[in-house]
Amino acid sequence: MIINDMTTSLSKSSETFLKTKSEIIFLIGSILTSLGILLVTVGGSWDITNHLLSKPETFFSPPHALMYFGVAVSLSGVVLSFIGWKNLQKFRDSYFLSLKIKLIGIGLLTGAGPLDFFWHSYFGLDGLLSPPHFTLITGMFLCSVGGMIGISRYLKFNNSQSIAKYLLILAVIPVWLSASGIISSLSLPFSSTDFFEFNPEPTFAFIIASLAYPFLISLSLLLIFRLSNYQFGIMSILGGLFLLIYSSTAIIPNFAMFDTIQFYSLNLIPFVVADVFLKLNRSKLSLFFVGGLVGSVFYMVYYPYVMYTYNEIFLGKLVSPSLIYFVYFELIQTVLLFTIIPSIVMGILAVVFSAKLTKKILIN
Amino acid sequence: MKKFLIYLSAFVILSLYFILTIFVLPSEFLMTEQLVPEPAFQSTLSDSEITLGDSFRLDIVSVNNGDYADIHIVSVAFPDLTKINDVVKIATYDFTLSPSYIYVDEEIGSKYSGGVETTLAQYPSIEAMSRPLKPDVPTHFDLVITPQELGIFNIYVKSIGIPHTSDLSHYPYSGILDHQNEYVLVYSVTVNP
Repeated sequence: MIINDMTTSLSKSSETFLKTKSEIIFLIGSILTSLGILLVTVGGSWDITNHLLSKPETFFSPPHALMYFGVAVSLSGVVLSFIGWKNLQKFRDSYFLSLKIKLIGIGLLTGAGPLDFFWHSYFGLDGLLSPPHFTLITGMFLCSVGGMIGISRYLKFNNSQSIAKYLLILAVIPVWLSASGIISSLSLPFSSTDFFEFNPEPTFAFIIASLAYPFLISLSLLLIFRLSNYQFGIMSILGGLFLLIYSSTAIIPNFAMFDTIQFYSLNLIPFVVADVFLKLNRSKLSLFFVGGLVGSVFYMVYYPYVMYTYNEIFLGKLVSPSLIYFVYFELIQTVLLFTIIPSIVMGILAVVFSAKLTKKILIN
Repeated sequence: MKKFLIYLSAFVILSLYFILTIFVLPSEFLMTEQLVPEPAFQSTLSDSEITLGDSFRLDIVSVNNGDYADIHIVSVAFPDLTKINDVVKIATYDFTLSPSYIYVDEEIGSKYSGGVETTLAQYPSIEAMSRPLKPDVPTHFDLVITPQELGIFNIYVKSIGIPHTSDLSHYPYSGILDHQNEYVLVYSVTVNP
C-alpha cells in the first residue's frame, strides 16, 4: 500500500515536473540538436582535410568519432525536444515547426548511415557528393534549422536578457556550417569515383560558389543580428567562431598551410567593421553596405578549399596538398575580378531575405 | 565628430584589409620556396637471360631524397605487352596506396603535368603510390615476371614526386621518353627457347 502510494506520488511529481519544465526541456533539446550538428560539421570538415592529406584512416579515426558523437547528441536533443513539446502547456503550436523540422532532419541524418553502408558495400569509397552524403548533409541542415528556430522562439517568448542571446551563436553557427556543406558538395570537384562521376560541371560549380557563399555569409550574420535584437558584437563573435572552426579543421592540420593562418585571421576585420557600422547606424543603406561587404569577402572566408572550384575554370592545375595556397593566391585577383559584383549583390539580397526570415522565425 | 572618426578609422582598416589580403600577402606567399621532392630508385633484375616459361624478379627500392612529397609515384610499364594478365605478379609492396593498373587506351597524364596534359596509354603499366612520402623513407615494389614470348622483354621504370616543382622532381632526369613523354630507365631480359 505504502509502495503503491509512493509510486503514484513519484509519477505525479514527475508529471508535474515535465509540465512545469517542459519549455526548458524543449530548449535543452534544441540546444543539444544544434550542438550535435556543430560537432558533426566540425568532424566533417576535419575529415575532408584528412582525406585530402591521405592520412591513414580507419573507421575509428578522430573526425569520424566526433561526427558519430555529434549524431548521438543531436538524436538525444530531438528526443528531448519531443518530450518537452508533448508536455508543453503554452506555445505548443509555436514550437511545433521547430520540432517538425528536427524530426525530418534527424530521420534523414540517421537514415543516411545505413544508406552510406549500402553505398560503400556496392560502390566502394564515395566522394563528397553522393546520395548518402547529400542525405546526411540535408539532415544536418534541417536539424540545425529546427534547433535554431526552437532556441530563437524560446528567447523571444521569454524576453531573454542579453547574456542568453549569445545562445543564438550556437543556434546559427551549425546552420551556417551545414549550409556551407551543401554548397561545397555542389561546387567542389571532390566527387569523382571509380563508379560515378558526381563532380559538378565546372561552370555550374563556379556559379553556385560565386552566388551561394556570399549570400550565406551575409544571411548568417544579418540573421543573428536581427534575431538578437541588434546585439552589438554578436556578428563578430559568430564570424570569429566560423573562422576559428575553419582554420582549426582545414588549415592547421595541413602543415604546409600553417603559415597562412595570419592571412586567414585577417578575415575577422570585415566582421568587426560590420558590427561597428551597424552599431552607429542601422539604416537600410548601412545594412546593405554591411551585406555587400561581408558577401564580397567570401573567397577569403572560404580559404582554402573554395580555390578548387575556381582552379577547374581558370587553371586546371593538379593541386596537391602542399600546393593549395600557391594556387589559391595565384587565383585570388582573377576570382575577385569575376565575382566581386555578383557577390556584393548576393550579400545585399541576403539582407532583404534575412529580414523576412527573421519575421518568420519569430512569429507568435 | 566622434562618429566621423570611427567611420574614417573603419574605412582605413577595411582598405588595409583588402590591400593586404588581395595584393601584399598573396605576392609574399607566392615568393616563398615551393617544396621540391626528389624521387630516386634502384632496380635489380634477378636475371638478364631466362628460358621461356621461367620467371625473373625486378626489385625496386625507391626513396625521396628531397623535400616532403605529397605523392610519390613509381611506375613500371611493359612496352611489349598489350595486357598484363598473368605475366606480372606483385611480390612485395609497401606503398601507402594500392597499386593502380593502367590499361591500353586509357587516358593518362603526360609531360609531368599532373593530368593537365593527357595522352592515351599505348601499353600497360602499374603505378605504385605513397601519399605522402617523407624524405629518406625507402619504399619497395618487387615484381615477378613470366614472359610468354621469345625475344627481348623490356620494362620501363620511372619515379615522379608531386608537387612536380623542378626537373629534380622526377627520375631519371634524361634518356628515353615513354608514351607519356616522361623519362624512363629501361631494363631488358632476353627470353630464350
